[in-house]
Amino acid sequence: MRLDTHHTPAARSWRDIPQPVKPRAMSREGRRRLVWSTLRFLIAVSVLAGVAVGGWQVTLALRENPRNAPAVAAVPVSAPKLETDGFLAADPRWLARTLALPKNATLMGLDLEQLRDRLLAQGQVNTAVLTKIFPATLKVRVTERSPIARVMAQVAGGKPQAFLVARDGVVFAGIGYEAELLNTLPWLEPLKLARDGDGFLPISGMGVVAELLGKAKLEAEHLYATWRVVSLARLNTDAEIDVRTASGATVVFSATSDYFSQIANLDLAMDKLTAQGAVFKRINLANGRDVTVTMDQPIVPIAPAGKSTSAATPAARKAATPHLPAFGNFSTNSKTTREF
Amino acid sequence: MSSKPTFIGAVEIGTSKVTALIGEYNGRELAIIGRGECASRGVIKGAVVDYKAASDCTHSALELAERDAGERIELVFLAQTGGHLEGFYNEAAVNVKSADNMIDRDDIRTVCDLAKSKELPAGRMVVHNIRRPFRVDGRLVPTSPENLVGQKLEVGYWNVHGQEQRLADNIHVIRGFNLEVRELVLAGLASGHMITTAEERQNGVLAVDIGAGTTDFVLYRDGVAHTTGVVPVGGTHLTNDLSLGLRLTEGQAEKLKLRHGRAILQARDKTEKVWLDGNFAIGDRQFPRYAIEQITSARTWELLEVVKKKLGHAFSADTCQAGVVLTGGTAKLPGIAECAAQVFGVPAHLGEAPAWVAENLREPGYHTALGLLYYGVSAQGEKSAPSRRKAGFLHSVSRLFATS
Repeated sequence: MRLDTHHTPAARSWRDIPQPVKPRAMSREGRRRLVWSTLRFLIAVSVLAGVAVGGWQVTLALRENPRNAPAVAAVPVSAPKLETDGFLAADPRWLARTLALPKNATLMGLDLEQLRDRLLAQGQVNTAVLTKIFPATLKVRVTERSPIARVMAQVAGGKPQAFLVARDGVVFAGIGYEAELLNTLPWLEPLKLARDGDGFLPISGMGVVAELLGKAKLEAEHLYATWRVVSLARLNTDAEIDVRTASGATVVFSATSDYFSQIANLDLAMDKLTAQGAVFKRINLANGRDVTVTMDQPIVPIAPAGKSTSAATPAARKAATPHLPAFGNFSTNSKTTREF
Repeated sequence: MSSKPTFIGAVEIGTSKVTALIGEYNGRELAIIGRGECASRGVIKGAVVDYKAASDCTHSALELAERDAGERIELVFLAQTGGHLEGFYNEAAVNVKSADNMIDRDDIRTVCDLAKSKELPAGRMVVHNIRRPFRVDGRLVPTSPENLVGQKLEVGYWNVHGQEQRLADNIHVIRGFNLEVRELVLAGLASGHMITTAEERQNGVLAVDIGAGTTDFVLYRDGVAHTTGVVPVGGTHLTNDLSLGLRLTEGQAEKLKLRHGRAILQARDKTEKVWLDGNFAIGDRQFPRYAIEQITSARTWELLEVVKKKLGHAFSADTCQAGVVLTGGTAKLPGIAECAAQVFGVPAHLGEAPAWVAENLREPGYHTALGLLYYGVSAQGEKSAPSRRKAGFLHSVSRLFATS
């Protein structure tokens, strides 16, 4: 038979019959074949996509790479470029000092892992990404830790100096910060810092302190601004944080209760006390809904209209004690607590 | 074409059995590497009447073939038979356009399109357009008429068409195995191609494939299929007549037909009897051999007469010099070649697969599936081959097929 005698039908042909059938009309083997063929298709697409992405990456790499890659091996690295989200860029020599690249080092000879470890050894650096850009550029991108408090410590053989403490408890020297900024941070005390080589081990419990300070700064900055010292001395034993203010008074926070309500109570108490012109020595916010205020001096109730406060009788003065409630309407026999 | 092999399946969904063969085609050669068979269910006279049953047995055959080959098929060439298949002849003529009367490709394309453009009734679909040789000013041109000089170019097509639903049913059975049906081939064309030689086809030969439910026939003239047809009568009708005539079950009648049936009456002694089983078991009975032969021969004669009648004027002893070649399961009936010779008045013989076919595939039951593979591969090569580069490797496949 001569094969050129056969032609595809021009009119309605059996080829016009749609061939796809629904899976339910297939046998088990047919469905299995369908799944297999679908899988094969997906795998093929994935492989092709992978090859395409790989090709693109290679293209990008080649684009960054100079034409004669072997020649760049001899080009010494220029000054590393620093990108940071913090203050390290304020010290232009910090990066070179930290990396301590040998003279005439080439990109090919750099051990990025080692350099990265050097950067991370600086507590201020949280993450570091080092990129070689041929022919001779080393790009360093870092993210920095944010300090939440200061601590006075002494490194071996040196004078006591101020260090910064991050939210995760890491203690670092603090490079590039302005003094005005640092002065807004409270001090931590008393604190025993454990040494770790040339530095210190992270301070435990800083998480709760960070939360308190963060909430205070956000919700009541006028109160936070008066905080000078944050004590962790009773954090582990009583779960309480003592905050000493600029006036020398102490505010006691519970580390297990909601800071927001405690700060709100403090704010309200401060308003009341200020209105009454009273000076407190200690406010304890760690008693749940009760706020205990210890006064510096006895309170003299405000005289009714027409009467002078100086007209208070000695008997009244005697009746007043340093532990009287500092605000609100209460009798002298009442407890020294007040619900807000 | 790449040298990566393609694994092609050839499936014949017959009335008595489903046959699947797997061929490994590397773009140059085709090797048969697997086969599977399953008793057919849900198929009557070549038409699928029970989708689930037909699917199950077809898929079983395909699974067996795949297991035998150790490979997965990617596409299938499917044999098509059944009484719904019909054919008609349509021809067209065009005047050659060019001033120098040289026939160009546009002339050929135009006349071919015209000859194929006959509209079919609703619900009918073309299965094959088989072109007959071109004629230039009445002169027969066995090859392409391109660049020949003449005024009038004529061509005729034998168009085979079938019922859309029947075609779709068969295709969907294969699709249920998640395989693409790449070619739908008339079963008679496939088997006819295996049992006739190019020389026989050139001289004129009638190939008759007598299956269980249908009889497919192809009349070749001038090297191409001239007329095709399907008669919805086959070996099961002989069995059925025996069953009715001798009051037997279908199974018993089939057994008698295979053992004692003949296409030509040979028994002289009307009293000679044959045992049903021959094992002297209880229930074994005797039947007159004469009656058995009389029934089977009469039915066979009648069947071949129907074929001859359907061929009509297309068939004559002059135009069919190579005679009749018989194949199919029923062609194993003794004396059938003699019967065919008497009916058609030309020499007849049983068809045999070419010498290169492996011994285990030489049975008449594989002729259609084998033909499907080679026919399908050749047709694929024909479709994908650039028309101006016929001498390429695809053409060598065609030549391999043509000379087989």
